[in-house]
Parts: sequence; structure tokens; C-alpha cells
Amino acid sequence: MDVLHNLFYGFSVGLQPSNIFYCFLGVLMGTLVGVLPGIGPVGAISILLPVTFRMDPIGAIIMLAGIYYGSQYGGSTTSILVNIPGEASSIVTCLDGYQMAKQGRAGAALGIAAFGSFIAGTLGVVGLMIFAIPLANFGLKFGGPEYFAAVFLGLTLVSYFSRGSKIKAFIMAAFGIILSCIGLDPIMASPRMTFNMLQLWDGVDLVSIAMGIFGIGEILVNIEETTATEILKTKIKNLFPSLLDWMQSIWSILRGTVIGFFLGILPGGGAVISSFVSYAVEKRLSRTPERFGKGAIEGVAGPESANNAAASGAFIPLFTLGIPTNAIMALLFGALLIHGFRPGPLLLREHPEIFWGVVSSMYLGNAMLLILNLPLIPLWVKVLKIPYRILFPLILLFCLVGAYSLKNDIFPVLVMIIFGIVGYLFRKFDYEGAPLLLAFVLGPLFELNLRQSLLVSKGSFLIFFTRPISAVFMTFGLILIILSVAPILHGWPLRVSNRP
Amino acid sequence: MTSWSKMNLPDPDQWSGLFWLITSVFVCVESITNDIGTPRSPGPGFIPFWSGVVLGMLSIALLIASIPKREVEKRISSLWKGMAWYRVILVLASLFVYTILLPRLGYLIATSGLLALLFRIMSRQSLWVQVVSVLLTTLASYLVFYTWLGVQLPKGILSF
Repeated sequence: MDVLHNLFYGFSVGLQPSNIFYCFLGVLMGTLVGVLPGIGPVGAISILLPVTFRMDPIGAIIMLAGIYYGSQYGGSTTSILVNIPGEASSIVTCLDGYQMAKQGRAGAALGIAAFGSFIAGTLGVVGLMIFAIPLANFGLKFGGPEYFAAVFLGLTLVSYFSRGSKIKAFIMAAFGIILSCIGLDPIMASPRMTFNMLQLWDGVDLVSIAMGIFGIGEILVNIEETTATEILKTKIKNLFPSLLDWMQSIWSILRGTVIGFFLGILPGGGAVISSFVSYAVEKRLSRTPERFGKGAIEGVAGPESANNAAASGAFIPLFTLGIPTNAIMALLFGALLIHGFRPGPLLLREHPEIFWGVVSSMYLGNAMLLILNLPLIPLWVKVLKIPYRILFPLILLFCLVGAYSLKNDIFPVLVMIIFGIVGYLFRKFDYEGAPLLLAFVLGPLFELNLRQSLLVSKGSFLIFFTRPISAVFMTFGLILIILSVAPILHGWPLRVSNRP
Repeated sequence: MTSWSKMNLPDPDQWSGLFWLITSVFVCVESITNDIGTPRSPGPGFIPFWSGVVLGMLSIALLIASIPKREVEKRISSLWKGMAWYRVILVLASLFVYTILLPRLGYLIATSGLLALLFRIMSRQSLWVQVVSVLLTTLASYLVFYTWLGVQLPKGILSF
């Protein structure tokens, strides 16, 4: 009954006209970001974060959350029509979605993607409501060692689940921690790595780093591409899936929802991995696996449901433990802090309007997205045709003004441009930006809890292994590190001696 | 002259591994000046120092992992092969110039100049279309950011 009571309270917040407007704005921008391959939700949220400083905090968080789950809807459109994923979480949708479009079934693919996303998104929010309170109560048992161990495990999981080289992902996480140390020491307030620059005493700004790596860096990579994208010329009809389509897809949607929701809770799991896992499960369970890759509707329904459910699940650790599990949640963590709210177990008690307001807005947002993504498909196809030569100067301008508005100073702009170059080189050299951003955001939590725990234990690291919760987290994290590094180092002396 | 292909570090991972190794040494040295302290009483340099050590170990692991089995599969030059890399340099140069000129010339003039350059980089449209696009975009962004959102944009040589 408590959940229902809280939900009604949430709707009293979410249904305020201004919050409905921000929710709509968020999901609209999310769909736009999802449709446009040139910019992702991390870039979009970081660009818009400075704009929200002047907004009502609840409206701001509702809007930013809307961009995230809205982008999961929009990402499928480009996968199906252009064979280029709008988002990383829609990569797998290309396999069967594009094939369906080529066979003249683009409408059915887009339709099942939208309905699957709606069902999964809505069920995901129900899961969020059910699991949030018990997990927040569990989080209240956390002391310094548990928080340090949870952050350690979170960073390890994110690096372990990263797409490319595990070593590179761990390098990113270590570099992120180092970047978070720039500025005044949190305990003794002495400047560190500030190079006698007063502007660095407050540390490097999260928004400048995120806009640089995910905004400017992305643009620099895109403008050097010389190939143009081509949209499949097909008539989009029958957006409402047939009875046969539903019968083939409904279990895939439900399985995708469960897979996505639980993988979304895990750090590093998120929308991308859940979509791949869902596809693999559907193919494994299918009686006709040979249809996959040739236009099987289950190959669209499962992954598209999984990535939307994962988007809902990812909010749980953020709101209940104060631990973001992916780059977008890291930005929302920063946004909550900027607006004066500390994410964690006490957030639900002290500021229920934030959590329940966002939850209720997600119900509304999912309904809005269904309307935005079905009847307005022709509009999104037109948006897809906007040439990048027009789009990129506008995105750059948004980044520049956004960075300038942080402190009404040119310094954050310069920092952003420098991180833009860094982000560009990361992409060139196959480094993922997400572990860095996450480590940067979690760095202060990591440092403070480690140092406090060591002070309490008089320098003994055993404190992390003698308390049950932290011991489990630490052991699991260390196993993941060994699993990541051992295969790479295995047999290296042989390779050195055989080197030409 | 030594050709690019015969250099000792031709693999992109080896270049980046070396970069991270140098960075880790720099971070460790910088942390020592900030006082590392001891585990019993960790100082301000404690976390940066040990993060630097971990970064160094990981960069060595990356260097080891990138030792090729037979011959180099991918060279650093291949990362820019067939790419319009000059656009990246042009955009970056224009962004740096913009940061210098923005406080001096003000938002309207500096942004018009920047957009004129950016629209030109990839565009094949006529000059007139570009001029109109630049003016409209600058004015629209001014109205959105300055008038609507209240961002204090630099005025520069203009009084608004």
C-alpha cells in the first residue's frame, strides 16, 4: 500500500503542468537524439545540463531522465531504416530490423520496436518502484568500507563489461580517478595537481569533461568521415503489428524486459549488453534460429524491449545507493548534486518528490513516446535527412555556450575543447569514455570512503574483508580484475622472444 | 631518413601504452610533492599516487599485450587513412581562435565568424544561403540563450 500511496504522491508531482512539459521536452529530445546518429544521450545530456541550472530541480531531473529513456526508443528507427544504430544499444536491432525493412516490413519492425519498448519501459518502471525501497533500506547499512567496496566493484564491473579491450577500460577508470583528484583535497583542503591555476582549485568540471569527450569528440570523429548515409527508400505502412507478429513477439518482449531490467541494475550491464544478451537468448530459444539475421521479428522485439527495461533498471542503484552504473547515470548523479540533492538511501526519505516525481513521469513519458514514435515516424525519417554539415555547427554552438554558462568564463570552454581532443583520440585509439566519466564522478566517494576507512582501521586494509558486505564486493571485484588481466599476460615472454 | 613503418613503436596500442606510462610517472611524481602519507594516515597525494601506480601497471600490461606475434597488423598511420583529418584541424583551430576572440569581440560578432567558418567546412551551398544561415542561427541562439535562458554572454565591443 505504501508503494501505491507514494505513487499517487508522485503523480501529484509529475502531473503538474510544468513537469508534464519538461517530461515531453525530455522524451522529444531523447527521440531526436536517438534518431540522429551524430550525437548520443550522454552528449545531449551533458550539453543540456548547464541549461537546467536555472530550472526547477524536479523538472530538470524529469527532463534529463526523459532524454535517456527516450533515446532508447529513437535508436531503433535508424537501425531499421538506415542500418546504422542511432545508439549503441540498438546495434543488434540492425541485424533483423534492416532485413525486415528490405523485405517491405519496415512498418512492422518499427511498430513492434515501439510497442515492445513501451511494454518494457512501463514494466521496468513497475520494477523500479518495487525494488527501490528494499534496496534503499539495504543501503542504509552501508558504512565507509561498504561504500568503498561498492564503488570499487562498480568500476570493475563497468570496465569488465566494456566492449573493447579490458585493459584499456581499466586504464580509463584509473585516469578518471586521477582526474577527480584535481583540486582541493577533501579532508585537508590542500591543492592537488592544480599547477598554480586558481581555476583548478574547484577541480575540473564534470560538464566540461562530458561535453568534451561525448560532444566535441563525437563531432570531430564524424566530420572526418567522408561517406554519406543512405536511407532505405521503402514505404512505411502497417505500423500496428499483426496478430501473427504479436504471437511471435510477445514472449520475446517479456523475456527482454526481465533480462534488460536486471542487467540494467548491474554496473556496466546497461542497455547495450542487455540488448545483445536478449538477442542471443531469443536465437537460442527459437525453433527456427536460421531466420535470425534474415528478418526475424523476435530479433527486433527482444533487444528493443531489453534496452528500454535496462534504462529503467539503471535508475535503481543511482536513487537507492547513490552509485551511478553508467555514464548517463553519472551525469544525472552530477545533476542531482548540482541541484542540491545527494543521491543515496536517504534521498527517498528526505526528498520523496524527486524519486516518485521521476517515477510517475516515466509512466507518462513512456506513453508519450509511443505516440511520438508511431504516428510521427514520417517526421523522424525527415529528421534523419538533415545533413550533418548543418547539424554539427549547431551542436558545437550548444556545447560552447553551455560550457561558457557554467561560470560565465572562458576557462570551462577551453577545458571542454581540450577534452574534445582527448575524446577524439580515445575513439581513434579504441578507448571507451564511459569508465572514465563514471570513475570521475565516483572518484570523490571512492577517495573519501577509502581514507576514512583506513583512518578507522589504523591503516589495515583488512577492514574491507572483515565486514561481510564489503568482503563480498571486494572479492568479486578482485576476481573480475584477475579474469581481465590474466589472459592478456598469459604467454607474454614467449611473444617477446618470438618478436620479429 | 627512417621510414614510418620501420619505427620501433608502430602499433597504436604501443603509442597509447607509452603515453599512459609517461602520464603515470608524472602523476606519481606530482603526488609525492603533495604528501602521500601512510595507510594509517593517508595524505592528499595518497589516492593520486596509488592510482598513478595502477595506471603505470596497466600501461605496462597494455604494452606487453600489444607485442605482435609475427608482424604489425595495424599501424598508427592507418587510423587517419582515407579520412578528412584536415577538417578536424580546421574545426579545432577555429574553436581555439573563438575562445580568444569571444571576450574581446563579444558573442554576436565572434559567433557569426565561427559559424561562417563551420558552415563552410562541409557545405556545398551558395554563399548567400550560408550568410543568411549564419545570421539567422546567431540571432536565434542569442535570443534563446541570452533573452530566454538568461545566460550572461560577453558583450565585447558591442553594447549588447
